[in-house]
Amino acid sequence: MTNRDTIEKTILAAATLVLFAAFINRLYTRGGPYAEQPQTIVDHVGPTKHETRDALILLPRIRPLLPSGAQLTCFRPVDGSEHYDMANFFTAVGQLPDQTVLPPFVAGLTVAPADRVEYVIAIREPFTHPAYRVVAEFPEGRLYRVVR
Amino acid sequence: MKDALWIFGILFLTYPGTIVWRIPAVRRLDLAARLAIAFATGVVIASTLLYVYSLAHVPWNRTTAGIPLLVLGVFGVLSVGAGAPAGPGARNARPQTAWIIISIFIALTLFGVLTARETTADLIFFWGPKAQRFNDVGKIDFDFLAFPHYSLMHPDYPPLLPLTYAWASLVAHRFSWWGPLVVLPIALGAITAAFRGLSRQAIGDERSAWYAVLLTAILAYGCAISMTAGGGDPMLLLFEVIAIAALTFGGDDRGMHILAAVALAGAAFTKVEGAVFVAITVVAYAIATRRFVRSVAIALPATVLLGSWLLLSWRHQLLDSYRLAKGTIHLDVLGSTLQGVLRQASYDVAWLPWLAALVPLLIRRRWKHAFFPLLVAGGTIASTLFFYLHHDDPSWWIAASAQRVLLTPLACLVVASAAASE
Repeated sequence: MTNRDTIEKTILAAATLVLFAAFINRLYTRGGPYAEQPQTIVDHVGPTKHETRDALILLPRIRPLLPSGAQLTCFRPVDGSEHYDMANFFTAVGQLPDQTVLPPFVAGLTVAPADRVEYVIAIREPFTHPAYRVVAEFPEGRLYRVVR
Repeated sequence: MKDALWIFGILFLTYPGTIVWRIPAVRRLDLAARLAIAFATGVVIASTLLYVYSLAHVPWNRTTAGIPLLVLGVFGVLSVGAGAPAGPGARNARPQTAWIIISIFIALTLFGVLTARETTADLIFFWGPKAQRFNDVGKIDFDFLAFPHYSLMHPDYPPLLPLTYAWASLVAHRFSWWGPLVVLPIALGAITAAFRGLSRQAIGDERSAWYAVLLTAILAYGCAISMTAGGGDPMLLLFEVIAIAALTFGGDDRGMHILAAVALAGAAFTKVEGAVFVAITVVAYAIATRRFVRSVAIALPATVLLGSWLLLSWRHQLLDSYRLAKGTIHLDVLGSTLQGVLRQASYDVAWLPWLAALVPLLIRRRWKHAFFPLLVAGGTIASTLFFYLHHDDPSWWIAASAQRVLLTPLACLVVASAAASE
């Protein structure tokens, strides 16, 4: 074995070792528990709670309450009102394949009564639009239905 | 149980992919490499099958999709018979040590995905919804893709991944949110096995094993820190490594060019970056080998597949990501872009992946052997910067994507380093 061979192998081995340690550290710093099945696919993706986690827990629970083909929207209210919340909106598109998920503006205060979306799923915070009533309540959020 | 069935559906694709074993150069590889390459080929075949069915208005179900794949596998496995014996030194202890180390990295990756530590949000936002929708309606749903309020779902992204996920959903009778995460360790294992098998004859058993270890370590850590589980990057990397390794170590073997062509088709059909990779690979191969006709030929399947998809996207008014190249370049942000990319490229380990790949290359200095993969590595870095410069403030894009997309040139550098050690 030549000197170059030895150097090459040393570099490869050392790099592998450091990357192994970095990998372990990366997995560890995503937080525990480490031996339990996570509740969602984003439970340990970061040091803080992922923006979609509440929706991933809430939406499967709400799904059986919704009629097939129903139109709805999903967002985390700000000061009781709708706002463009891409994360929860798109999460709902994937989690509620039997319904039609529309963007949050369809539940805005200025929307004409005939155009208001039938269901609103509000993540965590209450939704205070006067035309909507709570249908179901869960720790992660509420399901509202428009009163026509 | 359904999640396990879904994962089985993904692994099953190795079976029809064995049709690639009819290529003598592939048949000569060791079993692990053949299985890895069969898996990649099977993914291309299945996704193309569902794609063609969609165009031809043939409904998807287990019968219409399953029977052709089962028949193809018969021609693959039974017709070819037992493969060629593994190369010299197959029972050498050091490669076994290498496989133990590789297995540890793959096991850690499996732990990481099953404990939800590596999930990409893109799975939740568009890969998963598309796959689920396609499976529910039994075709590519262009109305869904064209819905104006879903325009941020990248409607013109090529459909290989959602089609592959839709196939697995057919097998399991429903979409699985955990299954796509497991594709990462599967792809990682396939990348390692394919690279090792393809490089073995050129650089020897021991060197191919140790460079496979380095490649696994870099990609396992890189995929974890850049959060790729469930997205298109694992499959894209698999296709890219197979293509580059086949062209680097395969010499003039026509079979290796066919293999590379299949892998490039897979890359182009997986992500927008895949199309760029194909273009760079073709140009690099032409420069390195002066074989212009062959260079164009290896890109043909990719061109046909992606070309048809772009035509459909144009017809259904879906074109979005592919239009970006026409936009203005903002050279005023070149400095901050380079800084941002350099920062992300450290991977929080002081640029160790780059050093580990480059230093052996600098020691050996066999540039001729490494020329082609080096060209591809340089080209993909340049194309990444080119993409970022199309935004007047690319900082978000760099933070969100640089660590993922730089895994491609990193993998090419490992291939280059391995080739130079020949």
